[in-house]
Amino acid sequence: MIKPELKDFLQSEEIKIIKGNVAAAYAAKSARVQVISAYPITPQTTVVEKLSEFVDGGLMPGTQYIKVESEHSVLASLVGSSMAGTRTFTATSGQGLFYMYEMVHWTAGVRLPIVMAIASRGPAPPWNIWADFTDVISCRDTGWMSAFTATHQEIYDEILMSYKVCEDYDVLLPKFVAYGGFILSHTSKPVILEDQDKVDNFLPPLPDEKGWPHIWIDPKRPLMHGNLIMPSGFYSEFRMKIHDALIRSKSKIKAVAKEFEKTFGRSYGNGLIQEYRMDGADVAMLNYGDLALQMEEAIDAVREEGYKVGMVKLRHFRPFPVEDIIEVAKKVKVLGVMDRATAFGSPTGGPVSSEVKTALHGTKGTALIFPMINGIGGREVTVEQQKEQLKILIKINETGELPEDLLHGTLWHGKLEVD
Amino acid sequence: MKDNGIIEITFHGRGGQTAITASQLLAEFTFEKGFKDTIAIPIIGAERRGAPIQAFTKISQDKSIRTYDSVKDPDYMLIFDTSLLSIPRINETIKEGVTLIVDSVRPLDKNKLPKNVKVFIVDATGICIKNKFMHSSGPILNIPMLGAFGKVSGYYALEIMEKVLKKEFGEERIDKNMAVAKDAYESVKEV
Repeated sequence: MIKPELKDFLQSEEIKIIKGNVAAAYAAKSARVQVISAYPITPQTTVVEKLSEFVDGGLMPGTQYIKVESEHSVLASLVGSSMAGTRTFTATSGQGLFYMYEMVHWTAGVRLPIVMAIASRGPAPPWNIWADFTDVISCRDTGWMSAFTATHQEIYDEILMSYKVCEDYDVLLPKFVAYGGFILSHTSKPVILEDQDKVDNFLPPLPDEKGWPHIWIDPKRPLMHGNLIMPSGFYSEFRMKIHDALIRSKSKIKAVAKEFEKTFGRSYGNGLIQEYRMDGADVAMLNYGDLALQMEEAIDAVREEGYKVGMVKLRHFRPFPVEDIIEVAKKVKVLGVMDRATAFGSPTGGPVSSEVKTALHGTKGTALIFPMINGIGGREVTVEQQKEQLKILIKINETGELPEDLLHGTLWHGKLEVD
Repeated sequence: MKDNGIIEITFHGRGGQTAITASQLLAEFTFEKGFKDTIAIPIIGAERRGAPIQAFTKISQDKSIRTYDSVKDPDYMLIFDTSLLSIPRINETIKEGVTLIVDSVRPLDKNKLPKNVKVFIVDATGICIKNKFMHSSGPILNIPMLGAFGKVSGYYALEIMEKVLKKEFGEERIDKNMAVAKDAYESVKEV
């Protein structure tokens, strides 16, 4: 058992101009994580590099930093550490996450509150290291919660909020905190790093030597964990409990977002979604990740031209905010859903647009859902393009006609011109 | 400055000329000076020494910056190497109204530039060599280039640079940093 020492390095409130990756590292430090396991992969590498600097420089006394030979071992070692009753952290991207996949399922199965930052990148081939959320979204059915963040500050804030949600005894599930590779990971913006005392008061206390409530590792009392269970055993019931906990985590996420706002003064909507200028909107776009922030600029410009447009920022993919999406879809006539990820062979080809359609199934009086995909593999999306996207929704609302250039009902926006 | 109150700066250098760090430091200098928001955006792919490198910084005195897209119509361009000006995609971004700050001892041929382009030159390379301000692959151009930018733009003075550089790199190297910054600040001239 690793015991944090008393003479911890204390962070006082400070604004620093830092990269998104560095904001993630500072969040882990502020959360006083006790075990970090690391393997480098672009564009995440500077997260674990920064943490190794902190640990080496004595700024995280008591924290164990484990260097392993692969991402699979990163998560395997964190599973062990978390089972022993410690707060743990790591970060990965794209192929690294895929290499971890077996342990991704394992983590949720053991109900461990591990938080992992994901600097999202497009899956290979061809090799791609730029923003695309297909990596984190492809872990949809593992039992992990997953959050998208749109700003550097939100990376720091969401990691803190995540520990509070994950470690809640009614939840006890792991969580991804994702942000676009390079777009957030390598750009620098001012970020408020919070006072250590304030963070300590906000977060639950670090687990004591008894660890988490459902697992107690004690060398004097050896037990076998994760053993083979016969089909007649409790396997099915364990799975039901994971689903139940994930659905119930919605109310916890909302409560934590509210408490975060009260403590630190920064609002993230209701935690699951965040609306922007939805008052009286005829049409709206649902965005997630960095493009949600930039869409605000496009919304303002198109509103200026006299059109009633709004935006909904999706903050969580799992748990999926079904009830909130129904409410949003009742407010507008056309709801564009913009994916920066692919779900091949799904109803729309986009993972979030497919979820939105599923969420609305069986509810009458909701908006026409128009699925769109852009920015795949980090392709640049400009504010001008985002204004065009809004204009497409306005046109659908005015004429009732869909654009012609659709692929199985979905508009892939910003394609290269080919002669 | 654009209608939206955001000032956009592009950095063009070659791998090893420290242009990416320059974009980050500019964000820090202007924020220290009291600008409301800044963002430094490096364009990252397969960097290597000598290859053309691009970075952007957006700054605003009173607005929040909500965009992550690249800068297409800059207010200022910092050119770390004049040979880059012959690359079409860089040359094409030199538009009417832009201010260029170029590491050069010779003036540019104004006939080859759009009208109403301001050109400032500073011998950043010479200043680095004179002050032995070098790293393993050559002169550390970002400090003199940012000294020149501070003077030309008026957005920050040497004291701000000193304060931030001390915080970033410690007391040890501050004298050398400030010597090259001051040299460039005082010698940059419009041509």
